[in-house]
Amino acid sequence: MKSTLASALILMMGLIVTTVPSLGHHSGAMFDNTKTITVEGVVKKWELTNPHSWLWVDVKGKDGKTVTWGFEAEGPSTLLRAGIKPSDFKTGTALKITGNPMRNGEPAAIWVDAVRTSDGKKFDPRAGFAVK
Amino acid sequence: MRHKKAFIVITTLLALSLLLSACAQTAETPGGPPAAVAPTRTREQNIELGRQHKTAEDLFKALREEAKGGKKLEWNRMPDWSGIYSRPLDKGFNFDVDQPKDQPSSAKLTPEYQEKLVKRIADVKRGIEWDPISTCAPPGVPRWLTEPFLREWVVTPNQTWLINEMVNDIRRVYTDGRDHVPVEDRLPTPNGDSIGFWDGPRLVLHTNQLKAGIYQRGNPDYTDQVETVEIWQKTDDKTMSVEVWVYDPPALVEPWYVHHTYLKLSDPPRIQYWDCGENPNNVVVQTKEGTTAFKDLNFSDEKQKGKP
Repeated sequence: MKSTLASALILMMGLIVTTVPSLGHHSGAMFDNTKTITVEGVVKKWELTNPHSWLWVDVKGKDGKTVTWGFEAEGPSTLLRAGIKPSDFKTGTALKITGNPMRNGEPAAIWVDAVRTSDGKKFDPRAGFAVK
Repeated sequence: MRHKKAFIVITTLLALSLLLSACAQTAETPGGPPAAVAPTRTREQNIELGRQHKTAEDLFKALREEAKGGKKLEWNRMPDWSGIYSRPLDKGFNFDVDQPKDQPSSAKLTPEYQEKLVKRIADVKRGIEWDPISTCAPPGVPRWLTEPFLREWVVTPNQTWLINEMVNDIRRVYTDGRDHVPVEDRLPTPNGDSIGFWDGPRLVLHTNQLKAGIYQRGNPDYTDQVETVEIWQKTDDKTMSVEVWVYDPPALVEPWYVHHTYLKLSDPPRIQYWDCGENPNNVVVQTKEGTTAFKDLNFSDEKQKGKP
């Protein structure tokens, strides 16, 4: 009886561990850094936030349907060090963007680089870690 | 006459060189702030120094005795540690920057903690990783030393603040001669309790009352018995340097000596408030397998309304 109760308790603890959300500087384990995807689209939203920023990009598929992709990058100060400013991605800005995709196939990726269509400017978020 | 002039010039140059040499040795500029100096011991000597002292407290006391108690700073004689710095990442994220990439940790771990590290590295290779700071908790000391973000040092006679922009993280080092909090009133915190003294241009400090954590992703764990001794100094106009001895008997067979450098940025952005919880798309959960997954990732304005 005792062991049944203990097992139930352990199971409940396990469920708690898997359901308590955390909001912070997470590992990138959900992304597959051995793969890259590249999409072309227009900026839907540009969230410069800590600890991670998100660039939302509307991508029109061959079937005509639009899917919103999220590209995750570091926070504002690291992006500023990479020369990426709040004004760079106004809503509707066309771009080609590359990232390491989610392992589970969801439309999101770690942002690796991007090229803005209007002027060909390149954006490499990881350049923000360079010390110069 | 010509010989007399030459004699005066040579004597003056010799006197100046002796004066500069004396200043370099004592790291003091007469009437001015302490000057930048190079570290005085080699890595091997520092490793041996750690071994010679059983605890961090013992090492700290020995360094204080060596410095004859240290010398308190005065407002008109302060080292210039101004500027914004960051940790160069060319050597990766390891706690020991001298440890080659993809090589075993240079820490001499106890069997239990060695096993934990082997499992952590194997898990990462399988795509399984959970970082304790996913909760927006601060990295804590000693991990604080390895984060790659913007840093400032604020020096005053009685306290020095070691600042990392990440989660607005400040370590306060008391240099007014106070001791640690009495044993019976100690409360472990992520950055612990730091006291220190000035040995010329060097800030020597001891930190205890810390919480358990990891040195960095892919690096070993430390326990709540971890303590550090650190010697901070500006080694040239653009470089802040720290020598670190970590003591943690449950996890380390002997003290772990490492050093870190932080380079001054030529055109840094302003340091702004770091609100770790501002974006619901950064909410993650730990799965049954122990890895990290987004809780409810979505890119719909409507769905995001009302989220935490």
